[in-house]
Amino acid sequence: MENIEYLFAGFAVFWAALFIYLLTLQARLRSLHREIERLEERLAESEGKPAPRSRTVGNASSAASGSAEPSAPPANS
Amino acid sequence: MNALAILLARVYEWRWVVLPPVAGVAMMAMIVGALVAAPREIIEGEVQRLMYLHVPSAVTMYAAFGFTAFASVMFLWKRDMRWDAAARGSAVVGVFLCGMVLATGAIWGKPIWGVYWSWDARLTTTLILFLIYSAYLLARSVAGPLDEQAARFAAIFAIIGVADIPIIQMSVRWWRTLHPQPIVFQTNPALPGEMLIVLLIGFIAIFALATWLISLQTDTERAAQRVSALRAEVDHREIA
Repeated sequence: MENIEYLFAGFAVFWAALFIYLLTLQARLRSLHREIERLEERLAESEGKPAPRSRTVGNASSAASGSAEPSAPPANS
Repeated sequence: MNALAILLARVYEWRWVVLPPVAGVAMMAMIVGALVAAPREIIEGEVQRLMYLHVPSAVTMYAAFGFTAFASVMFLWKRDMRWDAAARGSAVVGVFLCGMVLATGAIWGKPIWGVYWSWDARLTTTLILFLIYSAYLLARSVAGPLDEQAARFAAIFAIIGVADIPIIQMSVRWWRTLHPQPIVFQTNPALPGEMLIVLLIGFIAIFALATWLISLQTDTERAAQRVSALRAEVDHREIA
């Protein structure tokens, strides 16, 4: 059972890092979805006014017109 | 082409149903295989079992950065910010895996080489890859999620950065390094069959995990783009 402490350390580092990464990612995704809901409510409140053209670039206007759930990217690995 | 895009979108919609259980089961199988089923290596001892985590992480890291470069090319071609989100998503996962490769490699190296770190060609080129994509993510995070000019420069940087991968892969042939010559990716792998099977399970596990993480991270980047677009829209309406 030589070097078993290094084996344990290697697996522990991997799992700890993965756990922290997933927690951070979940917290960020949750806060972004809350922010999307809040901004959509504000947009809905100001709906009586004439809608101006979006100032954002690229496909930002299409991003603004979608649903709260972000749409799928074109492909994945 | 349109049918292919629809098929890809349909497959992508199933990612939450398929990827987490597949990744979870494969990771458990990999751990059991690595710690229990695989034979103990005579010279290196127990620490050699880190190979089932280290090698699949390295190969999947190449795939993640390769996808970052591919998505960057697609972004430059189509000018669609969804490709930028996909590039950022896979770069984050690539940097995470690269960090894990460096960490598990250092832990594996200590009892075998006597040091955690050496300026060996493969270690140094892997560290450079980690720094390249960390810089890419830093540059991309400083600019806004919908900053198209920053996305263009970052895409070019990501495409150039991927050139480090073949250098890492060939480093053990070009220079004298502490790493062994390739023993897995050759016509007759120099590993016993039991080790190869566990290694294959490790590849499936880490690849499924990385695919799930990339889709999760890409969704996060898309949500950040949407927040940025909505903020601009709200600001514009309130000013008008």
